[in-house]
Amino acid sequence: MADRSKLGMEFPAYTMTVEKSKIAEFAVAVGLKDDKAQIDPIYYDEEAAKRAGYEGIPVPPTFMTSFFFWTGEGLMGIVKALGIDLSKLLHSEEEYEFLGNIYAGDVITRKMKVAEMFERGKRDRLGRFVDVTILETEIINQRGELVAKVRSTMMER
Amino acid sequence: MAITYDDVKIGDTIPTYTSAPITRTHLVRYAGASGDFNPLHHDESFIKMIGMDNVIAHGILIMGIAGEAITSWIDQRNLRSFNARFLSMTEPADLNDMEHTTGRATITISGKIVKKYEENGEKRIKCDIVAKDALGSRKLAGFFIAALP
Repeated sequence: MADRSKLGMEFPAYTMTVEKSKIAEFAVAVGLKDDKAQIDPIYYDEEAAKRAGYEGIPVPPTFMTSFFFWTGEGLMGIVKALGIDLSKLLHSEEEYEFLGNIYAGDVITRKMKVAEMFERGKRDRLGRFVDVTILETEIINQRGELVAKVRSTMMER
Repeated sequence: MAITYDDVKIGDTIPTYTSAPITRTHLVRYAGASGDFNPLHHDESFIKMIGMDNVIAHGILIMGIAGEAITSWIDQRNLRSFNARFLSMTEPADLNDMEHTTGRATITISGKIVKKYEENGEKRIKCDIVAKDALGSRKLAGFFIAALP
């Protein structure tokens, strides 16, 4: 069961550069493709992105997830910090709010905190309560602009 | 041509998007691309240890497929929010039994416009989305909000 004393805890802020090749790799992955030649060139060719009206190479909408995992030992670090049992962990909901654009080369600071922890009132099929942890993340660019907010809901079965 | 606010009305559906059958290789690729290395998605020994039958796809990969459906319909700069609730697990196709396992691993995204409104000086739409496999099992339900010209 998640450690309730972690409610409100802020994870150490983390800064990373949005690598161009990582964007293409991600776009290939969510497109279930084998090669970047099969994806929209806006995700790897700056000229194509500019022709399509973007300031630079954009990131696919769910790319935000990689900011979640690229620090603090990734998922394992988060799970350990919260006292969650990995074998019971399920990601149950994800929500993004897009307030600006993210392009290749941007330097992103990720701020994440434990927003909510509660036991869902309803018991599951086996008569157990389900433990819910909600993480809220702010994605801030090199100009200090809040470009996205992420709300991730995790459950322990 | 970009879709405009006047082009769409409440009740309209967005073009249906169907994925390739998800394989374990796709899960490994997504793990590397996203950094989500939960062994639930690639390690059969972990799966046995926790009493499950098979590795499962990342919920957020299914959301990524929904993202593909959205961005193949509208320009992604128009996206204002995107929500997904994960409803059931998705097992990848087995290469040695594609005939019986392709359906459970093939994801179709559909969406329906439920609201048109103005907010922050923008013309916005809310569109409910659903992901289902080819057997009809619901994988994800959610919505996106977009500002249209």
